[in-house]
Amino acid sequence: MSNNNDVLLKVVDLKMHFPIYRGVFQRQVGAVHAVDGVSFDVKRGETLGLVGESGCGKSTTGRTILQLYKPTAGEVFFKGSNLVSLKSEEMRWMRRQMQMIFQDPYASLNPRMTVAEIVGEPLTVHNVATGKEIQEHVMHLLEIVGLNPSFAGRYPHEFSGGQRQRIGVARALALQPSFIICDEPISALDVSIQAQVVNLLEELQEQFNLTYLFIAHDLSMVRHISKRVAVMYLGVIMELANRDDLYLEPMHPYTQALLSAVPIPDPVADVNRKRVILEGDVPSPVNPPSGCRFRTRCPIAEKICAESRPEFREVKAGHFVACHLVS
Amino acid sequence: MAETTPSGDNTLLRETVSAREIGRMERFLGPENYRIVMGLLKTPASIAGFILIGFFILIALAAPVIAPPVNAKDPYKIPRDGFKSEPQPMGSLWKTKQPPLPFWWESIMGTDQWTHILGTSQGQYDVFYGIIWGTRTAFRTGLMVTIATFLIGIIVGSISAYYGGWVDNVIMRVVDVFMTLPFILAALILATILTPRIGKSLYPAIIALITFGWMTYARIIRGDILSIKERDYIMAARVIGVKDSRILFRHIIPNAIFPTLVLASLAVGDVVLSFAALSFLGIGTEVGYADWGQVLSFARNWITSLDTYWYIIVWPGLALVMYVMGFNLVGDALRDVLDPRMRGKT
Amino acid sequence: MLTYIIRRLLMVPLLLFGVTVLIFAMLQFLSPIERSALYVRDIPRNDKAVEGIIKRYKLDRPMHEQYWFWLVGTVDASTGKRAGGILFGDFGYSRTGAEPVATLIRNRFPNTLDLTIWAVAPVILVGIWLGVQAAVHQNSIIDQAARIFSIVGTSFPTFVFGLLMLMFFYVKLGWFPPGRMSDASSIIVRSEEFHTYTTLLTFDALLNGRFDVFLDALRHMAMPILTLSYISWATFLRVTRSSMLETLRMEYITTARAKGLSEHDVIFKHAQPNAMIPVVTLAGFSVILLLGGVVITETVFNYPGIGQAAAIAAAQLDVITVLGFALFNGLILIVSNLVVDVLYAVVDPRVRLS
Repeated sequence: MSNNNDVLLKVVDLKMHFPIYRGVFQRQVGAVHAVDGVSFDVKRGETLGLVGESGCGKSTTGRTILQLYKPTAGEVFFKGSNLVSLKSEEMRWMRRQMQMIFQDPYASLNPRMTVAEIVGEPLTVHNVATGKEIQEHVMHLLEIVGLNPSFAGRYPHEFSGGQRQRIGVARALALQPSFIICDEPISALDVSIQAQVVNLLEELQEQFNLTYLFIAHDLSMVRHISKRVAVMYLGVIMELANRDDLYLEPMHPYTQALLSAVPIPDPVADVNRKRVILEGDVPSPVNPPSGCRFRTRCPIAEKICAESRPEFREVKAGHFVACHLVS
Repeated sequence: MAETTPSGDNTLLRETVSAREIGRMERFLGPENYRIVMGLLKTPASIAGFILIGFFILIALAAPVIAPPVNAKDPYKIPRDGFKSEPQPMGSLWKTKQPPLPFWWESIMGTDQWTHILGTSQGQYDVFYGIIWGTRTAFRTGLMVTIATFLIGIIVGSISAYYGGWVDNVIMRVVDVFMTLPFILAALILATILTPRIGKSLYPAIIALITFGWMTYARIIRGDILSIKERDYIMAARVIGVKDSRILFRHIIPNAIFPTLVLASLAVGDVVLSFAALSFLGIGTEVGYADWGQVLSFARNWITSLDTYWYIIVWPGLALVMYVMGFNLVGDALRDVLDPRMRGKT
Repeated sequence: MLTYIIRRLLMVPLLLFGVTVLIFAMLQFLSPIERSALYVRDIPRNDKAVEGIIKRYKLDRPMHEQYWFWLVGTVDASTGKRAGGILFGDFGYSRTGAEPVATLIRNRFPNTLDLTIWAVAPVILVGIWLGVQAAVHQNSIIDQAARIFSIVGTSFPTFVFGLLMLMFFYVKLGWFPPGRMSDASSIIVRSEEFHTYTTLLTFDALLNGRFDVFLDALRHMAMPILTLSYISWATFLRVTRSSMLETLRMEYITTARAKGLSEHDVIFKHAQPNAMIPVVTLAGFSVILLLGGVVITETVFNYPGIGQAAAIAAAQLDVITVLGFALFNGLILIVSNLVVDVLYAVVDPRVRLS
């Protein structure tokens, strides 16, 4: 694993607002603030976990980073170049270095293409290889992800969920990228298969020196694989820290609440620990609360929380929190 | 190989990989389409439909054998036996210009004399001949119109769905306008306009039916493309860096086209219905052309004596109804199979 | 809902524009001399006179000028009479009808409307009833019969069906004659005492208290009504059935049953109102079907409506007349589609409340 701590991906104040049109003339009446000012770095060779409830904007963040949506504002620097300002053909070229693994292995593979065509397509469209080379390359990739190369001529629906996810991984690896966004890659799988896929991802990371942005909806899922973890709520990152810091010493009340909801396999400790139970529902991203996004459900919210938006600041070395009340 | 396979549980995976054996057909069509085809092959109604369609295909192919033409260069011209106006009954002798005897005639009919098996219509046109060769006309017109409307619909619908925005808006409004005129009336007008310009033939009606027949396909394919566009594998293709045109032709259209294709192939029956209606109104082919609607239109002049001349409407009418019904039976089963709520029930 | 209706209303001028352009485009297939029938009754044989007409009615001008002229026409300064101008209801002169197209439509449309009304009402009532029955007793004899009926119905060409009807009920049995009315009725209708209120024969007969005329009219309309409507019956039945089946599978129906409602209440209070929503759309669509159907039906039964006139004109290649009918039908359809869409918004709470 690489030891240098240089930054591979830098996201600066990224915003993604989806407009809402209403009325006779379809005027824009508002917007879904899916991602609303997100900043973080991903270091070369590490895995950054991005955690949040469903609908908090974590998948949108991933997709916006890859320029699948045109961001409303903000910058995304990858290896120093700003992806937001790239022309579409330049961006297409850039995609060789950054790939994605999708949540739903059923939906993310074209049902009319064979495994060989799916895994080989990145090579074809980027003219990396031709004819026989592609075949050999595909066979090799299938072996790497633990699939029998003799199944290359089969269609996705002939495989189980875990096997399909391996096909998705092989496709992502085809262009030898340095950065992969894993968008909840194990959420749709059976529990028994999840560990296999996580292990595979870890082994591949080591073998090919990959950098991951690992998106998940619950903290326990990313604990194992991540080096650092970011917690997202309603389009904003609330806390970002090294894994151990975050799990042992959560500073943001939202992180504390989330962690207290994770079951502990020790009945005594489980009974004795302090539980933080959140009340109410996640507010609508169309009209997010003023000031701190979390204040409407925060157990310790004060007046200031409604007035100004808390700065996302470094409280300890490498430990960022967006809360007025944490010092 | 061991060095390149990081996962330790590979042996297990390889053994379980083909838990489900899959036929060549299913692999070729994909799971969705395979389900549609199998659904159709399992319903008794659609089997009956396929048998009817197959029967008519056989007749169309064997037309020169079943009813040999008098003039091989112009087989669609129904041979006429004299010029008397009044229809002759079934089984009456063929007096003038007897066409060549088909090979099956003597063994089945027990005579070497051509008779008008199904009688003659007004002007001594042989009804039997008209029905047999009319089958070919039915397939020709049906296929031409269906293929053309399907292609136009696919192109227009794809453009509309793919570009979206104002392009989509304009195209869909044009579709609305075309759908505002009642289909038969619109086709009637265009055929009326075209007839003096390109002459009496199959083509004025065919062009008219094409011009006002493509809209449904455009709408359906547009809807399907819009839904496919949102699938994850399209997003995955963009992540890989696939160009827009390749996404459209390689990923979207192959997945979106099948339901429309099946619907279109079943429309061959409906087209013939509309075509026959135009023929019946006197728009379309020359008098005496082997076309069911044309043969039927003779009946208009004999309404008050239809009890005597019933065979001039019953036989061509039966051919037309059976032909259309063959397609409708399959179509009816298809609607059940395509209905997403029926999924998983076949 | 208001937004929806306003947007829908704004569509109307757009559609009107589209339909007029479409028809105008088809007119362009005709030579300027043929097109002059839009403005003058008799086309002179004299070359000079023809040229004058072409000049006067701008038939040789650029497209957009011609289109505008076609829309608004011109007013003769000396006589004050208007020539042309479809916006003012002048659709040109019918060669086959030997009168202005607008007059032809005015004289014949009441007959068509009379027929359509009598064809629509039973379709909606019986078709929906049968559809509900078929759905409630799924796979019973009534369901199977309905299915067979709808498949056979949609496979039967209108004119073959009509001819067979004529063969049995007119030629063989002599029950229902073709045409509009008997000679006896015709004398009564033309007499002084018979007042015209609605121009629809059946309704006028009732309003005049002449039941003999009413029954005679119905007798003449029986076969056309059946011929015109059997396809709609089949379609209505199918849509009602599948929509009802879908609704009956919903969980709120199970809930209604579980809380102990009678099966009658479950079906007619909970299921049917929801199942009717797609049927409303179909009702609008059936107007299109019917208006298309009148051409064939009226021709087969020699019924003097606009459909028959259109068929005669088409057979004689009288394009101006047929286009006039198309324009008229287009207007009717735009209005009826509008009504259906608004109705839909009123019926469906999902549209109403959004």
